[in-house]
Amino acid sequence: MMALPYLMIIPLFGAFSMPMVSLAGRKAREAWAVLISGATLAVGSWVFYRVYEKGTVLYTLGAKSPLGQANFPIRIVWEVDLFGALMVLMVAFVSFMAVLYSLGYMRHDTGLDKYYTLILILELGMLGIAITGDLFNFYVFLEIMSIASYALVAFRNDTQEGIEAGIKYMLVGSMASSLILLGIALLYGQYGTLTMGYLALKLSQNATVVGKVALALLTSGLLFKSGASPVHMWLADAHPAAPSSISAMLSGLVIKIGGIYALARIAFSVYGISISVKTVGWLIILFACITLIVGNAMAVIQTDMKRLLAYSSVGQIGYILLGIGIGLAAYGSRTGEIALAGAIYHTFNHALMKGLLFLIAGAVIHQLGTRDLNDLSGLAKTMPKTTFAFLIGAAAIVGMPPLNGFASKWLIYESSALFNPVLGAIAIIGTAFCTAAYVRVLYTFFGRPSEKVMEAKDPEKSMLWPMVILTIAIIVMGLFPWGISDKVMIPAARALENQLAYVATLMGGG
Amino acid sequence: MFGYWDALYFLFVFIIGLILAYLLDRWAKRSGMGTRKTGPGAKIFISGEDPDRVIPGFEHLEGHYTGRNVMWGLTYALKRFFTVLRADHTGLLTDYASYLVIVTAFVMGVLLIWG
Amino acid sequence: MIQFQFITAFLLIALGIYAFLAKNNLLKLILALNIIDSGIHLLLISLGYRVELNEIPTAPIYTGYETLKSPMVGPLPQALVLTSIVIGVCVLALAIALTINAYRHYGTLDVRALRRLRG
Repeated sequence: MMALPYLMIIPLFGAFSMPMVSLAGRKAREAWAVLISGATLAVGSWVFYRVYEKGTVLYTLGAKSPLGQANFPIRIVWEVDLFGALMVLMVAFVSFMAVLYSLGYMRHDTGLDKYYTLILILELGMLGIAITGDLFNFYVFLEIMSIASYALVAFRNDTQEGIEAGIKYMLVGSMASSLILLGIALLYGQYGTLTMGYLALKLSQNATVVGKVALALLTSGLLFKSGASPVHMWLADAHPAAPSSISAMLSGLVIKIGGIYALARIAFSVYGISISVKTVGWLIILFACITLIVGNAMAVIQTDMKRLLAYSSVGQIGYILLGIGIGLAAYGSRTGEIALAGAIYHTFNHALMKGLLFLIAGAVIHQLGTRDLNDLSGLAKTMPKTTFAFLIGAAAIVGMPPLNGFASKWLIYESSALFNPVLGAIAIIGTAFCTAAYVRVLYTFFGRPSEKVMEAKDPEKSMLWPMVILTIAIIVMGLFPWGISDKVMIPAARALENQLAYVATLMGGG
Repeated sequence: MFGYWDALYFLFVFIIGLILAYLLDRWAKRSGMGTRKTGPGAKIFISGEDPDRVIPGFEHLEGHYTGRNVMWGLTYALKRFFTVLRADHTGLLTDYASYLVIVTAFVMGVLLIWG
Repeated sequence: MIQFQFITAFLLIALGIYAFLAKNNLLKLILALNIIDSGIHLLLISLGYRVELNEIPTAPIYTGYETLKSPMVGPLPQALVLTSIVIGVCVLALAIALTINAYRHYGTLDVRALRRLRG
């Protein structure tokens, strides 16, 4: 599969040639950013199509064969199964939308060559995490992604908010990364390999105490990165402080790829059944329940629009973790498979929905200069298109039937109710809080206009189009929920669950 | 078992609901004491906030549905819970790091005992 | 033989985590992060070092190792540590830059002052 390296080459080349290209002026810089992220989206779509049609793809850097004869087989593998390919598609799509939106949104800022460089590096890091099959390679991509996002959170360094959020995110995030590195070092010391497939093989032969300690370190580090409660507090500071296009990427993509995807990959593909799946599953379910309640409840009492959206992200991460936890605890049964499919589906849906909502928040800030909900009443009169898009996004995230959020949440509710009715009840309570939070925002938007919003108008084209495309994607995905579920999500869940196939692909060579 | 739902069903249900609502409305109008078409009774009423009423001393808030009070019942009923939650989000970097260490220790303990 | 390097590595990690939780100065927190990182690097490097048959291992020369008589230091951990050091330097530079900015905005390096975002 020769297209896979281009997934790295194109954004890397684009990112580091950006300062040179931007010497030619603003137009050239914007065109270059759109071109690069568009090309990445094209390659990402092709990778997804290829994996969907022909199954798991293996790409090796270095020795082709895992068996060394005369010399060591030194190599790094990239292994993309359907789950990874889906994440690649999601990252490339939402990043493209964020770059398009930045053209209008960031027009009045300075230092834009650095901004576009960082946004492409962020995309690169996320794509790398989705395709890698090597633990240390994963760590490197995780750090690329994390450092780019630390810098982007503090991008507006003339504001106190950006600096404070950046420092909090950065210091604690680096500590979480250190824990992950410690876990990887322990695994390497115990088993002498870093390739996920071999590691899975060796773990299944002999799961030692060191392996468990390493899993604990990796799990807690990745729970931090995904923003699970009680380590979610950086998220509510960092995501609102970033520019809105970056908030959309952080909330929509970074916490999914850096947290959820990596956690699922390590729990299923590396460890799998070599340790007690029930324990790990219930551990994740416990964190998921806390996250569900705390995140959605905190969203209800916020007055800052972007902070509300950030807390809502925490709540939705709770649903995804719940799906993954049930998938682990009920490993191998139909309930577990459906829960896992629901979690993957919700990951994809939430990226679209939260991306859309943050872009709308950005449009409102761009027009009015405030994001305090008390000042925004009556926005529907002056920004009708934006408000309509918000209505669609809010209805989707609450889980209203004709939209895509319903199908994924339904899968999670139903499987959790089958697995344990208490979990289903907790999920429903979380949704009640989520509904309350969004109803508050909608009432504000549809209220009587205050003087402040009278001069606002719908944003310009380059900001409006990404919102329109995301809205259309949400509606269209809502029209064929079970088709998508059966054709893409359940095979992706099966690919994730099937540890044997993951290892076998590695052995089969490239 | 898992979800028999289609966008088409939703449309059917929606249309049936509209027809039902229309029939109910007609039935109510015919059999009721007569509905008010004008006056204060016909005004939209949202969550205790009368858009036209001016409260002395609160003129600056006059009639905006700010959305602040919409979920008043919920926040008041769960006031204790929300106070605890809010107090827990201290904004201190050291607290964030402590939570991370506590979570790590907890996960490690659980995995070592039952893993 | 007691393997002092492992003990030192875990001691360093523990020291770093303690300092991260107990100190309030931003620069000290950054130093604490670096100490944790150093501990992990020491651990990784120690994993590659092995003494076989009471012989001191040689440097990892990849070509022509078949003719080597004495054991060889594992080459992989060294590559990992080099990469990790580069990442650490990157994090350090960004953290220092943010700290300077924070000092400009808040006039102090105490983390307890950085709590305008909460609730």
